[in-house]
Amino acid sequence: MRLPCPFCGDRDASEFVYRGDAAPVRPATSEGFYDYVYLRENPAGPMREHWYHAQGCRNWLVVTRDTRTHEVFGAVLARGAAQ
Amino acid sequence: MTRFSVFSLAKNALSGHRLWERTWRDAAPRDAYDVVIVGGGGHGLATAYYLAKEHGVRSVAVVEKGWIGGGNAGRNTTIIRSNYELEGNAAFYEWSMKLWEGLEQDLNYNAMVSQRGVLNLCHSDAQRDAYARRGNAMRMNGVDAELLDKEGVRRLAPFLDFDQARFPIQGGMYQPRGGTARHDAVVWGYARGASDRGVDIIQNCEVTGFLRGADGRITGVETTRGVIAAGRVGVAVAGNSSRVAAMVGLRLPIESHVLQAFVSEALKPVLPGVITFGAGHFYVSQSDKGGLVFGGDIDGYNSYASRGNLPVVEDVCEGGMAIMPMIGRARLLRSWGGICDMTMDGSPIIDRAPVDGLYLNAGWCYGGFKATPASGWCFAHLIATDQPHETATRYRLDRFATGHLIDEKGQGAQPNLH
Amino acid sequence: MAEPLQITARGKVALATVMARKGVDAAAIGASLGLTPPTGPLTAQDETMTLIGVGPGAWLAISEYGQAGWAAMLGGKLAGIASVSDQTSGYIVLRVSGEGAGDLLQKGAFIDLDRTAFGVGAAATTVIAHIGVILWKVDDAPTFDVALFRSFADSFRDWIAASAPGLAAPSSPVR
Repeated sequence: MRLPCPFCGDRDASEFVYRGDAAPVRPATSEGFYDYVYLRENPAGPMREHWYHAQGCRNWLVVTRDTRTHEVFGAVLARGAAQ
Repeated sequence: MTRFSVFSLAKNALSGHRLWERTWRDAAPRDAYDVVIVGGGGHGLATAYYLAKEHGVRSVAVVEKGWIGGGNAGRNTTIIRSNYELEGNAAFYEWSMKLWEGLEQDLNYNAMVSQRGVLNLCHSDAQRDAYARRGNAMRMNGVDAELLDKEGVRRLAPFLDFDQARFPIQGGMYQPRGGTARHDAVVWGYARGASDRGVDIIQNCEVTGFLRGADGRITGVETTRGVIAAGRVGVAVAGNSSRVAAMVGLRLPIESHVLQAFVSEALKPVLPGVITFGAGHFYVSQSDKGGLVFGGDIDGYNSYASRGNLPVVEDVCEGGMAIMPMIGRARLLRSWGGICDMTMDGSPIIDRAPVDGLYLNAGWCYGGFKATPASGWCFAHLIATDQPHETATRYRLDRFATGHLIDEKGQGAQPNLH
Repeated sequence: MAEPLQITARGKVALATVMARKGVDAAAIGASLGLTPPTGPLTAQDETMTLIGVGPGAWLAISEYGQAGWAAMLGGKLAGIASVSDQTSGYIVLRVSGEGAGDLLQKGAFIDLDRTAFGVGAAATTVIAHIGVILWKVDDAPTFDVALFRSFADSFRDWIAASAPGLAAPSSPVR
């Protein structure tokens, strides 16, 4: 599996650290924190997820990837990406 | 149903083994059942078997989207053990071990249960302390455990690399009653026992939705082979639990991850039992056919693909070479991936769903195989009585909200979260 | 005819990372430095230094004749628009040059180092043999410079010894 880092180009997935679903938003108050920490959509299909390019440009990316096939559709810098 | 015995074997030998009857019935769905179990893996079939045998519930169907045992039941590394430390886990996994020990007599089926021992290696003082603590907890709970020094490990497995510079072996924790079982035979044995007691096993029948009553209660399932009404529905589809739960609008504390495993060509007997490398992600046993069956850690990203990627292959093989250099001489036969329900604390869920009439058996992470008998036993108990079995009271779905996590490993789907 | 493969440690270089503050672009950094930094994984150089793009708004700056205080001087020039950290003692820079230099590095790298994919002036932050490196191509000899954390130098040298049998150990001291 290779991920298209917007800065570095196509890179092997082993250069990255996985953080999971990009959808959950940290709530401002303790209300909703259980949902944020524990519950997941866990979709079978395309998913937007956070990957950190630890062995590259050291930026957080939002990668769109199909969890059924590992096909990668694209990646953008998480900084400035729409939630 | 023919009972397997030396006499039935001799009799069938005379007819050239052409007259054995089918092991279990491949049923077509009826209109309604008292209980429908979704998922024809080991857990689902065991649940149906114990529902019929222990609770007298005879109107039971197991619906399976593929063929029985074609999912994770055929994608594990067949290890059985009960070396758990925490309250909430210890009694459950020991109950499972006791059921394994009586399984073949109970089912009249050779599941090839082999208590050849499970050895966890330690490589530091801290790790030995942790094993001493875990072993003591096990013995207090009536489970067998032995703390071995380096020479004790050497007597069991002289071929390990004891004095490597990075992770020299300092000892280990040994559970003699642990071992392996034949994964397919477990599925077939439970299917045979359940089928014989009237359970309908329905293959190629994928659940596509749930029937709800006016009050919201689950009243059955919609499947690719038609609608089936049910008094109660139990879901045992680990790997795909989130997808099925989504059909009733439920989100679970689960991520699906892929775990890879590997088998070498068949070799003469070389490994005495199961061995785990305590300083890397590697564990290995040898099948009765002779293949070295080994694996490591999950790939670490969400996946439903039933196959992993090369970095983990490399990592597992490096772990094998580090602890057991002779494995480098073995040729790899094949590798595969299984989809794991990774809960956020690494422990399973056996509980009523927050929807009436629906029961959840999920979140087995990478440890579901060893739990098969007790999982079926406890899930059947829950469905039949609406009360959790005494060994499975802690596997509640709401423990994540109430803070009663079971952190046996100290992590779930991702090590940085819990 | 190409020169034989040679691996040396570049001595006496000064190194610093330059990270632009929020909202500051490469042109603003360039105006203060007198050398416009690349906005991708590339190198830019003048007679005083080389700037290597290691991430969005992040560069590794390297000076051939760097002296103690060079990073502080750089920080002074960029005060208020970028953060500068001295890395002189953190990284070692190896120069891999001559015939087969690309082939040797390719044995450990996931990225394509073929001349058509990784030409002179190209740079990459990646791993070689599981060791994090910043790699850039200096000329078509070919010459590659490889910056890695100094504490990994022994491991990297072991990997070179295993990957290029017959090659002498790096000719100047690696630590």
